[in-house]
Amino acid sequence: MKKSFVAVLVVLLIAAVAAPSFAQAKIKVLFMPGVADPFYYTMEKGIKAAAAKAGVDLTVAEYPKAWGPENQVPILQAMVAKTKYDLLLIAPTSNEALKAPLKAIYDKGTEIITVDTFIGDGDYSKASDYSFPLSYIGSDNYLGGKQMAEQLAKMVGEKGKVYCQATNPDASSVQDRVKGFTAGVTEFPKMMLVGVEWCQDIQQKAQEQTLTALQINKDIVGIFGLNVFSAQGATQAVINAGLAGAVKMCLWDATLDNIANLKKGNADLVLAQKPGEMGSLAIEWGVKFLKDKKNVKVPKKVIPGFEFFTRQNVNDAAMQQFIYQ
Amino acid sequence: MADHIEAAGRRAGFLETRTGRALAANWAAFFLVLMFVVFSCLNPRFLSVANFQNVVHIQTLPFLLAAAETLVVITGGIDLSVGFVTGLASVGAAKLVQLQLAAGAEPGTAVGLACGAILLLSLLPGLINGLVITKFKVPPFIATMGMWGIANGLALKISTGYPMMGLPDWLTGIGNGYFVYVLPGEFVSFLGKPDWFPDSRIRELVRLLPYSLPFILAVLAILAFVLKRTRFGRHTYAIGGNVDAAIRSGVSVDRNLVAVYMISSFLSGLGGIFNVFQTGIGNYTTFNAQYEFFAVAAVVVGGASLAGGKGRIWSSAVGVLVLAFLENGLAISGVQPFYRYIAVGVLLVVAVVIDKIFPDLR
Amino acid sequence: MGKEPGAVATVGSGKRRGAIAEFLGSRWILIFLALEILFFGLKTEGFASLNSLQILLYYGVLVFLLAVAELFVVITGGIDLSVGYILGFASIVSIKIMEALKPLGLGEGATVLIGVCATLVVGLVPGLVNGWLVAYLKVPPFIATFSMLGVCHGVSELIINGVYAMGLPKLAASIGSGHFLYVAPGSGPALFSRPLVERGVEVLEVVPNIVVATAVVVAVFAFVLSRTRFGRHIYAIGGNVDAAIRAGVPVKRRVLGVYALSSFLASLAGVVYAFMYVSGKADAGASLLLDAIAAVVIGGASMFGGSGTVGRTMVGALIIAVLELGLRMSGTPTFDKYILVGVILIGAVIVERYMPAARK
Repeated sequence: MKKSFVAVLVVLLIAAVAAPSFAQAKIKVLFMPGVADPFYYTMEKGIKAAAAKAGVDLTVAEYPKAWGPENQVPILQAMVAKTKYDLLLIAPTSNEALKAPLKAIYDKGTEIITVDTFIGDGDYSKASDYSFPLSYIGSDNYLGGKQMAEQLAKMVGEKGKVYCQATNPDASSVQDRVKGFTAGVTEFPKMMLVGVEWCQDIQQKAQEQTLTALQINKDIVGIFGLNVFSAQGATQAVINAGLAGAVKMCLWDATLDNIANLKKGNADLVLAQKPGEMGSLAIEWGVKFLKDKKNVKVPKKVIPGFEFFTRQNVNDAAMQQFIYQ
Repeated sequence: MADHIEAAGRRAGFLETRTGRALAANWAAFFLVLMFVVFSCLNPRFLSVANFQNVVHIQTLPFLLAAAETLVVITGGIDLSVGFVTGLASVGAAKLVQLQLAAGAEPGTAVGLACGAILLLSLLPGLINGLVITKFKVPPFIATMGMWGIANGLALKISTGYPMMGLPDWLTGIGNGYFVYVLPGEFVSFLGKPDWFPDSRIRELVRLLPYSLPFILAVLAILAFVLKRTRFGRHTYAIGGNVDAAIRSGVSVDRNLVAVYMISSFLSGLGGIFNVFQTGIGNYTTFNAQYEFFAVAAVVVGGASLAGGKGRIWSSAVGVLVLAFLENGLAISGVQPFYRYIAVGVLLVVAVVIDKIFPDLR
Repeated sequence: MGKEPGAVATVGSGKRRGAIAEFLGSRWILIFLALEILFFGLKTEGFASLNSLQILLYYGVLVFLLAVAELFVVITGGIDLSVGYILGFASIVSIKIMEALKPLGLGEGATVLIGVCATLVVGLVPGLVNGWLVAYLKVPPFIATFSMLGVCHGVSELIINGVYAMGLPKLAASIGSGHFLYVAPGSGPALFSRPLVERGVEVLEVVPNIVVATAVVVAVFAFVLSRTRFGRHIYAIGGNVDAAIRAGVPVKRRVLGVYALSSFLASLAGVVYAFMYVSGKADAGASLLLDAIAAVVIGGASMFGGSGTVGRTMVGALIIAVLELGLRMSGTPTFDKYILVGVILIGAVIVERYMPAARK
């Protein structure tokens, strides 16, 4: 058995290293999403549309099944192993771990734009070992968390107990939202954050944890569900507890479910990031740069910002484009 | 590993008495009661009808999956696909309703037909699992892990990764409804809160008996009956105990096993449909939800052995409650999230260690 | 023990199919692996290359180590659900220890060495607890390791308190991503250190360090399993505990040892993770558990214990890894890939079962 194994290995080792690469007129772009969820599916749509418009050759890598470099980097490396891409759009799943692999890809001649998340501290304008990407195009999660706190405060009259249903403590974007929310709540002395729970992207857990929180503090007036699954689970819990409408729900990510709950009165505020826009901006800037490297200066940070859905504007025609679908 | 509990655990005296034996046979239930007492003392908020009902209501899906795994584990196998089959059923049911509504059907009939169709279709993953395991002798771990991937992929394809919307609003009323609504001292209302009831007083409303409770009790009772009192049930235990002896005594092992896995996936499908009624949308199961691990853990806590031959539906149900109330109780007692992971682990082990001190009476 | 309800005894019912069929049957997983490689090599552009081979091995290292860990436990008829979170725990602990040693100014080499050794020692603790619970307190392995999973998770999160473990010494990072041999165009081969080139120039990298290290570790443990008394005892326990006791095997000590060994390997995997990804987090190994157990089962081990070898487990791990890599590189859409992996894995094992039984 060992001999056959060695034979197989030898065959592979003898094989040629690189296939000849044709001189393509089209720019080759690779999109490496962060994880399999509606936010990134929506981003993909934005990227596809922009890519078609710009006439570039787009490849979408496999979606990692869970958040983390151990899931994303093998996919990334597999994709860049056979093809040299001119532009890589990636949502890095670790601020630290992706630095070296991305640098290596950059050194081979690929331009990089990080979307939604960043490496290092996200500031590519100062000299560092992570300043090689063209740009960071994404949300300011800390600011978003803070704004949620402020909006929630307005809704509850700036007093009362609030609770945060979070998801994965090992994701920096999640941590930033929690930190922003916490900082925002401290601005209102009559408000108190009674707990932060982590559901690990499991909606059932979000439901259980929120219900328990409502049991511990019967007088919670507001809840912040900070990603797709936290939001859906927390809303579900509030409905289960019979408190729909009595507890103000602020939800992050404008999935159809969250929007539907907003319309029904189960939720009060939905924050929409702009994944589609992040994606299309990334393509636009990247292609612009590649076509004219000497003269185009890509801004090192582009923050498309958020849109807030309330019951007042949820049916507005202008707002529909921000729903994740 | 063989259990040498009989030799190791015997302590003369108490364990020989009637109470001692009752305790040993139902340790999980006793532990549950013990937990209730301790947690209630630590924080009276724990001891409330609302809390208990909420926890039990949310555990409906875990109950169904634990029941499914009980059957499979008794035969010495494992079913890793239950979580994703649930997601597939949820998504499939939603899709069928969407298609019918688009074709102009009545919402009521659309939902009814969709449920019926999906329940029937839910037998399919189990059939495939069962056939692969019996006819092709694939180990249950791999067979159900393969189905795990297939069900997941299908669910994602059908839903294209997004939650499935457009279902009738009244679904959640059924999924989350209670039989009795009481405002103490003022009125009692059945099957729904009165329309005039103001939101501002909503916290005073007391709800009793969620629809989900009789539903899950009925399902569990039927399964328990099947396991305990039918020939099918006896054969299932026999297969788990000693396959060769079972064959020799005329059990048609293959057919029985296929049936077991079909029941398992049927229950998962039922769970998926219940999920649709509870959430009002069709939703796939996320990758790391690990419903199957919690289901199997509940079954083992309830006293079953992964080697097969032992296990009871009600014991597994108690196992689900133990896991759920452990989390709930510790959280209400104020144990912070990460300390809770540790506490749940430690307490679970303590519970099982004490269980093993008792002689094996099941 | 060793009964599988799905594999009802077929003694005497198998027809003689000749030497060739038996030869194929006993090596089926290897043949399947070769077929996989051939298929993707021909069909998928870029698969048959040194680069992909190295990617396959480099990123497979964590699963390889966890699979060996699981194998030892599974042979005794148990299971270890905690290896993923022990990996995460170790990834965090190793970085934290090295960070703590920095102010002592011992020099990078010593810091890394001490950090790694300390982590491996600390990493034995979860396994010792698991083993003690299973062997001495008769806690079912599923519950013991399920609980340890939670404990490791909680402890890990409490240590990092919301921020990745960071600050790995540069030496460790360069070992983690480094290769034995580099060949840059224009200059000759360089050992261990990557030559600096201009942007856009490709450097040939051969044989990643950690792949070599892992190969050594796996070989050592394969030796332990197949050629030492410890290994023989493990098989005996899995085969028939009572017979093992009668034969004088110190069952409890061995079971304890097996869980400690599993934990050791998981911690080693955690250290490797830290070297590879320059960071540590609690759920680093969470998505690897299922693949590790699957590798063991595909490799032919029975979940009831008593069988399985390191070599076959490695083949099992490679089958999964090659399948994933091949489908990935051929651009299979994500959702389709999940379905295909499930179908093909079942298919592979089905065909194996059709082969006449010549398994260990």
